Amino acid sequence: MAESYLSPLLISLKTVLATTFITFFLGIAAARWMARYSGKFRNLIDGLFILPIVLPPTVVGFGLLVLFGKNGPLGALLNIFNTSIVFSWPATVVAAVIMSFPLMYMTSRGGFEQVDVNIENAARTLGASEWKIFWTVTMPLAWPAIVSATILAFARSLGEFGATLMLAGNIPGKTATIPVAIYFNIQAGHMDQAMILVAIVLVISFSSLMALAYWKGKARRTITIPPETL
Amino acid sequence: MLEVNIKKKIGSFILDVNFDVDKEILSILGPSGSGKTVTLFCIAGLIRPDSGSIRLNGRLLYDSEKRICLSAQQRNIGFVFQNYALFPHLTVNENIAYGIRNQSREAISGYVQELLDLMHIPDLGKRYPREISSGQQQRVALARAIAPAPDALLLDEPFSALDTPQRERLEYELIGIQQLYKKDFLFVTHDLAQGYKLSTRLAVFDAGHLAQCDYKNNVVTRPANQTVAKLTGIKNLMEGYVLSIDGENVKVAVPELERPLQIDNHNCNHLVVNQPVFVGIRPEYVELAVEDGENTICCQTCQLVDGVTSIHGRFNASSDTDKKYNLEVDLRRCSKITAAEGCSCLLYFPPERLVVFDR
Repeated sequence: MAESYLSPLLISLKTVLATTFITFFLGIAAARWMARYSGKFRNLIDGLFILPIVLPPTVVGFGLLVLFGKNGPLGALLNIFNTSIVFSWPATVVAAVIMSFPLMYMTSRGGFEQVDVNIENAARTLGASEWKIFWTVTMPLAWPAIVSATILAFARSLGEFGATLMLAGNIPGKTATIPVAIYFNIQAGHMDQAMILVAIVLVISFSSLMALAYWKGKARRTITIPPETL
Repeated sequence: MLEVNIKKKIGSFILDVNFDVDKEILSILGPSGSGKTVTLFCIAGLIRPDSGSIRLNGRLLYDSEKRICLSAQQRNIGFVFQNYALFPHLTVNENIAYGIRNQSREAISGYVQELLDLMHIPDLGKRYPREISSGQQQRVALARAIAPAPDALLLDEPFSALDTPQRERLEYELIGIQQLYKKDFLFVTHDLAQGYKLSTRLAVFDAGHLAQCDYKNNVVTRPANQTVAKLTGIKNLMEGYVLSIDGENVKVAVPELERPLQIDNHNCNHLVVNQPVFVGIRPEYVELAVEDGENTICCQTCQLVDGVTSIHGRFNASSDTDKKYNLEVDLRRCSKITAAEGCSCLLYFPPERLVVFDR
């Protein structure tokens, strides 16, 4: 009895942690690059990065199925190594990364754009390497936005349903995350099982929001972002 | 010695300047949009010029032909930004220590304290930038910029956001710092008085090119063109043409005035008879006259404005009602004679105070 809700919880936790970790770095790298990129493809790239959030998750899931299917480009590539991710646990991570990436990217890009270019320039004239500037100037100044971005990405991957179902399916004990398990429990008439899972999601989501609010209140007292000055 | 010769095109704006700084504070003067800041950014390595070369104490920082372009990090040039650009998340001590390398922790903290003492803010080390005044912030920015012992220091309108007493104190301190370090300082400002006070030489920028680079006295008394004249406070400019040249003296006819103007002790080398020129004079050099005579013009008084250091009068100096010259005169120097609005009076232009340059 306990296993039937413990298993989706464990799968979801594993997926969400892996997803948040991957999205964190991908999103920051993309955001940092786009915040200072002003080439002619800016709008195009920006649109591509944000696309998953405006598309229905099932459409994204369909796209991923095509990409990772046996005949898809990425599926064929994986096939060379004798592996496939469709309907396996990694698929839950891939789907959640794609769906949470736009939130991580958009929010942290806003944070990077808020950082006064001349503060970074000042560090340059003081001889600091670009790497040192990123870690000692840019990141600390964009940190509030990055924390927000991470929590949003975390929450989004926890709630991911449509794309996950399309790409990873509903294999109990393997790919059935909490949202997927809730849906199939209700389909099967196991309202009590669904209720427990719903309560778990509520607790996790609500406490992560509370953590964000608490941290922001603390951050406001210690960190101030300089106004954009041009 | 900082030698700069760069070209840079940004949209329709073309920067093309050539000057050098030799162990002095050289002030770059110019209206906004004349390329002052872009020039500093090019020298600092924050913007890459299109062509030319930049050399600092014989070391090539940039050369388009030799394909050399050192990064800002490699140039060892200090920069003080208009908005200070302090690191808001670091204390004053950490801000100043940011650019210091290869020294023990004790050596750094001792050195930072020395700089704080030099900038007259010995007790602010543990504060954050938001906890100190803007004048103190600018002192920290200066200390931070000179901490890594740069070979040159670039200052981009650093005191423009400060109130007058603070600005004046920092101006004197900057002169002291330059005399202490004996490096090349490049100071961008749009305020002639400030540039004049800080520098022995001024470089005047106009729409991306160098209009004049000369000793400050020459810039003020012998402006090279209209922009320099206006920027240096020669508010009265009249269009005319050269009537005759006699050694260092020249006679210029201004069609709207009843008689030609005599200009003495002027460098007339480049002038020829009938050449269109501008004649200019600063408001404080115009005098009210009692008797009619040479260089005296009859005017209508239109407006008198009482200022703190001067009384400014506006006069119509033309007999022709279609084309009037609004002349501005500082009347404090002419206290013996009074002028009243609406009355006519005589204005005298001292021949040695008038300037002539190409139109």
